[in-house]
Amino acid sequence: MAKVLMLNPEKCISCRTCELACSFKHDREFRPSAARVNVLQFEQEGISVPLMCLQCDTAACEKVCPSGALKRNEATGALVVDDAKCIRCKMCVQACPFGNIAYDPAKSRILRCDLCDGEPQCAKFCPSEAITYVEASSGTLAKKRAYAAIFKEALQEVTK
Amino acid sequence: MKVKFFALLRDITGVKETTDFTGTTLVELLEELSGHYGKEMTRWLFTPTAPDQEKQIGKDVIILVNGRAIEHLAGLETPLKEDDEVAIFPRLAGG
Amino acid sequence: MYGWVGQILRVNLTNGTVKKEALDPVEAKNYIGARGLGTRLWIKDCDPKVDPLSEDNNLIFMTGPLTGTMATNAGRYNVICKAPLTGAMAASNSGGYWGPELKYAGYDGIIFEGKSEKPVYLWIKDGEVELRCAEHLWGKDIIETTDTLKEETDFDARVACIGPAGENLVKFAGVINDYTRAAGRSGVGAVMGSKNLKAVVVRGTGAVKVADPDNFFAALTKARKMVAEHPVTGQGLPAYGTEILINILDQSGGLPVNNFRDSGTFPNADATSGETLAKTYLVRNKGCMGCNIGCGRIVNVPDGPYKGFGEGPEYEAGWSFGADCGVDDLAAIIKANNYCNELGMDPITLGSTIACAFELYEIGAITEKETGLPLRFGDAAAMVELTRQAAYREGFGNEIAEGSYRLASKYGHPELSMTCKKQEVAAYDPRVLQGMGLNYATSNRGGCHVRGYMTSPEILGLPEKLDNLVTEGKAEWTKIFQDLTAAVDSTGICLFLTFAIGAPEISEQIIAATGVDFTVEELMKAGERIWNMERLFNIANGFTKEDDTLPPRMLKDPVKIGPAKGHVNKLDVMLPEYYELRGWDAEGRPTPDKLKELGLQ
Repeated sequence: MAKVLMLNPEKCISCRTCELACSFKHDREFRPSAARVNVLQFEQEGISVPLMCLQCDTAACEKVCPSGALKRNEATGALVVDDAKCIRCKMCVQACPFGNIAYDPAKSRILRCDLCDGEPQCAKFCPSEAITYVEASSGTLAKKRAYAAIFKEALQEVTK
Repeated sequence: MKVKFFALLRDITGVKETTDFTGTTLVELLEELSGHYGKEMTRWLFTPTAPDQEKQIGKDVIILVNGRAIEHLAGLETPLKEDDEVAIFPRLAGG
Repeated sequence: MYGWVGQILRVNLTNGTVKKEALDPVEAKNYIGARGLGTRLWIKDCDPKVDPLSEDNNLIFMTGPLTGTMATNAGRYNVICKAPLTGAMAASNSGGYWGPELKYAGYDGIIFEGKSEKPVYLWIKDGEVELRCAEHLWGKDIIETTDTLKEETDFDARVACIGPAGENLVKFAGVINDYTRAAGRSGVGAVMGSKNLKAVVVRGTGAVKVADPDNFFAALTKARKMVAEHPVTGQGLPAYGTEILINILDQSGGLPVNNFRDSGTFPNADATSGETLAKTYLVRNKGCMGCNIGCGRIVNVPDGPYKGFGEGPEYEAGWSFGADCGVDDLAAIIKANNYCNELGMDPITLGSTIACAFELYEIGAITEKETGLPLRFGDAAAMVELTRQAAYREGFGNEIAEGSYRLASKYGHPELSMTCKKQEVAAYDPRVLQGMGLNYATSNRGGCHVRGYMTSPEILGLPEKLDNLVTEGKAEWTKIFQDLTAAVDSTGICLFLTFAIGAPEISEQIIAATGVDFTVEELMKAGERIWNMERLFNIANGFTKEDDTLPPRMLKDPVKIGPAKGHVNKLDVMLPEYYELRGWDAEGRPTPDKLKELGLQ
């Protein structure tokens, strides 16, 4: 059963360790601008959102690619770039509605999350569970439990 | 005697302080607290030991009797009087 | 080079030139980086006797070799110069994301020389570096400056800047990066203001590389696990922030109250504590680059006169605006701390100076004629108002802006300034924490708690519990803490790690990152070398052993209440042993043998 990355931005502490872990995993150096995950910081509101490709089932990037360079890894469910076939047209970058795929001019390549072959480093090193790697079931993919707990506490207060 | 709780110990006890417990030595008091508040509290107060072994203070707890750390008094055998104040902290701080 | 990126910028603000220089690997090995290396580079170029606000006082921003890597919590950099508040060396330490960004842009540090005729900012985008006009930013606060600069340059750029306080040469003005992280102490922001330098803006798309990626990754993974599992770094700091210290200091009888006059317990301490903050105004916690602790506090006061959003307060600010001023209104404390972030000031010096002003007023040394408003311990509104005034040197704020030593001396009561070498000490009463008192008295940058954090063994029991009320053994422990901290401050990692990991884990990471053999011994030796280098600078500046002292209140007035009632600090017992352990003579000067041993002739 494939696992998926789940994002809980309300838990993000803005440490960007995910960016460091990602760039190290892929390139063995620390270069957040080439990370496939980015933390978008909204300082005035005190909120940060980690974001990476969440592997659309029907992916615009895959559809638009003229050379078939984007292939699904059936084991992990991730779309992976076949570097030999990629012609760097960057149409995938234009097509993604979320902005989750990017072009790195320094190394002339496409940057996108590949789930680190099944052991995503961002989830492994996130200190606050803002990024988790969970079984893809309807239970885990609904965020109900956390908010049900808030209801429970409110009910305990008023029915005391 | 007054017993005060701090940081996440307050979440275990639900109160900041209490006068409901007593003991002639510290270990007696801690055993009462342990019995009342359950194993979550016990985990902080005592290091797990075999039943026949001597009790050992938890390694992540700081206990003050009238403001003095028990390491500089008599540890678990510190004698207590009725008007003493015991403050219990998880070892959580720095800055 | 690995770890370090091997390049420094030298910016001459007088003639507007920018040069790129190679980082000397020998200096890097001996002084590591950040605090150590930045201080070394300052000393090489500048005359120790310069006027701190003159153009000959170089201002240096320096990262460490681990800054920007995934080493445990490696987001730090230092701002180094001669300090306007003290005349000693200032090396103020800050976190956030600015330091790593400078490394990604390809620079270990920046040396600013001279003075610009008009307000400017430095804009660095990888290899392109230029000075740009900042006249439209002069007068703006930190938030507006940072927002405007990001729009003008790059939305992902990181900004370090000064606010009105730095522009107005407030003696304790700081440099604020990433909106709320501060190189706070000793007035480094005033030096930046004296150079008409408003901001340094960086965008870096490059990389930091390490010498041995496999071993580096193994070392950092192990160290991160230790940090996550330790109760201080894994539970306490994330849940409660540093304000968790309020209650334990209070219960131990060591919380300074009312300018240290009424120490060591405060009637409503709990109202200003980390526990209370977590239950009231805390929104969520926050971490610097690569942090897995997350001690930062994002807070929001939803209504009332102190309404607003901000970050903090830390324990020191929670104390300086709180118990030290007799104030127990947490919202007011948050407001004062927010002013410090928004206007660019050090909350420790500022709160302590306000407390001093309160005491001067209460004894009648100053009156409403000078102050414009009544000043009493416990008056939260007055405390907040003075905080704001200080940044603008408005009204009595002009006197507050000079720090407590100059304020108290002006009105005939220097003994009411709680300073060492003119810098205000922090939130631990030295009559109750003997070792912390020794650290305050001997710290190279003046009254400072963090560079020899004796609270750790004396109150928290880490690494072991020392009796805070005794003097035995304190000299040795203080030296070890001071040397280790000097080394850690120079690597680019956050000091809070040392609650959970030690020199061995730091050594593993830095060896694998740099390829340089920084064994535990070498690290401690580098720390000792840095400490002695700073000491030599102070001596060249006329500091003597007479300056290694504490305010008279701490040496002579016994604590009046609480568990440590009756105690004073017994510095005269600890200081001679400290000098001896340090290899200094009876006058507190490093001996020729010691200098030779450290390579500091």
